[in-house]
Amino acid sequence: MNLTKEKIKDFSVVKIEGRIDTTNFTSFEAEVNQLFDSGEKNIIFNCSGLNYISSSGLRVFLITQKKSISLSGKLHICCLQPSIKEIFDISGFSTIFSIYETQAQALEA
Amino acid sequence: MEEKETLTIINKVDELPVLAGKIEELAEKWEFPIDLTMNLNLVLEEAVSNVIFYAFPDKEEHEINIMICRNDHSLVIEIHDEGVPFDPTLKQKPDLTLPAEDRPIGGLGIFLISKIMDKVSYKRINNENVLTLTKNI
Repeated sequence: MNLTKEKIKDFSVVKIEGRIDTTNFTSFEAEVNQLFDSGEKNIIFNCSGLNYISSSGLRVFLITQKKSISLSGKLHICCLQPSIKEIFDISGFSTIFSIYETQAQALEA
Repeated sequence: MEEKETLTIINKVDELPVLAGKIEELAEKWEFPIDLTMNLNLVLEEAVSNVIFYAFPDKEEHEINIMICRNDHSLVIEIHDEGVPFDPTLKQKPDLTLPAEDRPIGGLGIFLISKIMDKVSYKRINNENVLTLTKNI
């Protein structure tokens, strides 16, 4: 897993590459918590390079969404690969997240 | 025609990348499409990580035996462990209609397995948990 963070407009954009699984989800969660700790509440997860996610990774997405809601912030997800979108659909996550096809759309919403 | 591969790992999270590597090798050998490989990786990670985290409260090293078998119409995975009896098929399904605020954290792993595979069955045989996952291909 590689994470790249960038501030664009009102959002912290986190570009996720590789896998999020049982072996690394705690690092992913720690990186996201750093953003909240530094006062960010509007986050975009750009998943164009995310090619594998298991329930451990989905768990962090859900925790981030709950935190963002409690802070009246925004969590936007964009650029999901079809196989990952399928996992989101199966888990019922497609209905509880704001998902966009492009990063530009995620930034405008 | 039937082909079969077996693999033994120990109950440590560090073994999961080893398992994933083996699945990639097998997928190449058996020429699986990329989506099937990802799903196979996913169900094995979910099932085996459950065993790693919950089956052995003694924290000692134990073996987990995995058998992957394919024939012309199906792929069958069997996972054997000598841990505490646990039947994942009895686990309650998550309520997917709940909003994010009310969705419980966790409980998705076994649900994902049941959605991806066509059949999930559990047996306790000779002090072993035997989880059998079948996918029609």
